[in-house]
Amino acid sequence: MSDAAMPKEQTLHELYRDHRGWLEGWLRRRMGNACDAADLSQDTFLRLLASSQRIADLQEPRAYLLTVGKRLLSNFYKRRSLEQAYLSALAALPEECVPSPEQRWLLLETLQALDELLDGLPRAVRRAFLWSQLEGLSYQQIAERLSVSERTIKRYMAQAYEHCLLVEL
Amino acid sequence: MNSAAPDARQVVRAAAQWLALLESGGATEQDRANLQRWRDTSASHEHAWQKAQALRQRFADLPSALALSSLDRPDPGRRVVLKRALGAVALVPTAWLISRQLPLDVWRADLHTATGERKQVQLADGSSLQLNTASAVDVDLPNRRVKLVEGEMSLKVSGNSPLTIQTRFGQVMVSQSEVCVRQDAVGCRVSVFNGAVQLQPLQGAALTLRAGQQINLQAAGAGEVQAFDVLQPGWREGVLMANNQPLGDFLRELDTYRPGVLRWEPELEALRVTGSFRLDDTDRILALLAVSLPLEVQMRTRYWVTLLPRKKVV
Repeated sequence: MSDAAMPKEQTLHELYRDHRGWLEGWLRRRMGNACDAADLSQDTFLRLLASSQRIADLQEPRAYLLTVGKRLLSNFYKRRSLEQAYLSALAALPEECVPSPEQRWLLLETLQALDELLDGLPRAVRRAFLWSQLEGLSYQQIAERLSVSERTIKRYMAQAYEHCLLVEL
Repeated sequence: MNSAAPDARQVVRAAAQWLALLESGGATEQDRANLQRWRDTSASHEHAWQKAQALRQRFADLPSALALSSLDRPDPGRRVVLKRALGAVALVPTAWLISRQLPLDVWRADLHTATGERKQVQLADGSSLQLNTASAVDVDLPNRRVKLVEGEMSLKVSGNSPLTIQTRFGQVMVSQSEVCVRQDAVGCRVSVFNGAVQLQPLQGAALTLRAGQQINLQAAGAGEVQAFDVLQPGWREGVLMANNQPLGDFLRELDTYRPGVLRWEPELEALRVTGSFRLDDTDRILALLAVSLPLEVQMRTRYWVTLLPRKKVV
């Protein structure tokens, strides 16, 4: 390891040493699972390492770690439920249609990114948007499925586009 | 997204409404002309319009049935207990798992390890066997044989009744010695840590290999005997060492300990790594690399990791 890297490394090391046990305990109480809690607490520190946040500047390290940890925890549950849905869908495919392992990964990656993109949209808006994008349903067909007016669907679609584009802004 | 400037938000909203109008099928010629005028008014309008089109394309490229059942899944609440079904690679723990030394007297066994796992077994004759990541052996003590099916193993035989390690590229006879054997598709590397072993390559004469020596066996026969440092810690101690090693080689080695996919840009290959890394946390190894080398770790999930050259600060 080069000398230039040492100061950041040292500070992270101290942070890790002083707070990791505490963060892991907090996560474990919420997740009821020591392995996942350990993974997630590692992720929290890694996130810190990758971020532009200067570790030496952290005034309230625990508050900061908790904020990052909570966000990761929420993502963790969403990802799990996405993974589960994805795996069940894969399992339901005829064997000749199952993508290669590498493709499966790429696809899961893409789906996770889109899932995060859509996160926060009301359920009906999200469904209308997905049916339009993925199934190519017309606004009229979607309106019938959801028992609302076409006008409402148009509003939903604009809302969904706006939401996604803002996230990416 | 909250930090977006108010007019940027306005532009995005307008683009979203134009798109929804166009898709509704209710757009008139006049609407289309107005849209064109709006796009021509400002580069930011056109940019937002292109972004909206790109967004549609991201969905259009997906296999629709799979994507729909994943993204439009029923909301199961947060406390989902996920069945670890389907051999889901996504859920394999990354930790370098060390199974405790098994107390059982093993006479015959097929032993194997998962990616990122290490296993140590005490055999019934007092010999000690360790398996590295993603490895498999068949143990047949009555016939004094251990077959290395794949991966890497080490064997320490204390007594003077020899055990023979069989590989696809030759045999290694071990007694009162300690040896490490690593096999892949093209060959097999034998390293002696203690005592001496007898080698019988597939082709050519038998030879003796002593402590501190290693050799490569291939289908065509044995290579040159080389020296190595027996005191340098290795996978058996849970350590990955690098001494001015090209990063590409280091990462290929590291990859064997990580489930999921590890990729890197070709221009990173030639960077040099020096250090001693603990295998029980390979994520941390990646993080350490990012600190000491001009690269960044892009971790979408811990099972899909890409290393990129660090962007120059503008």
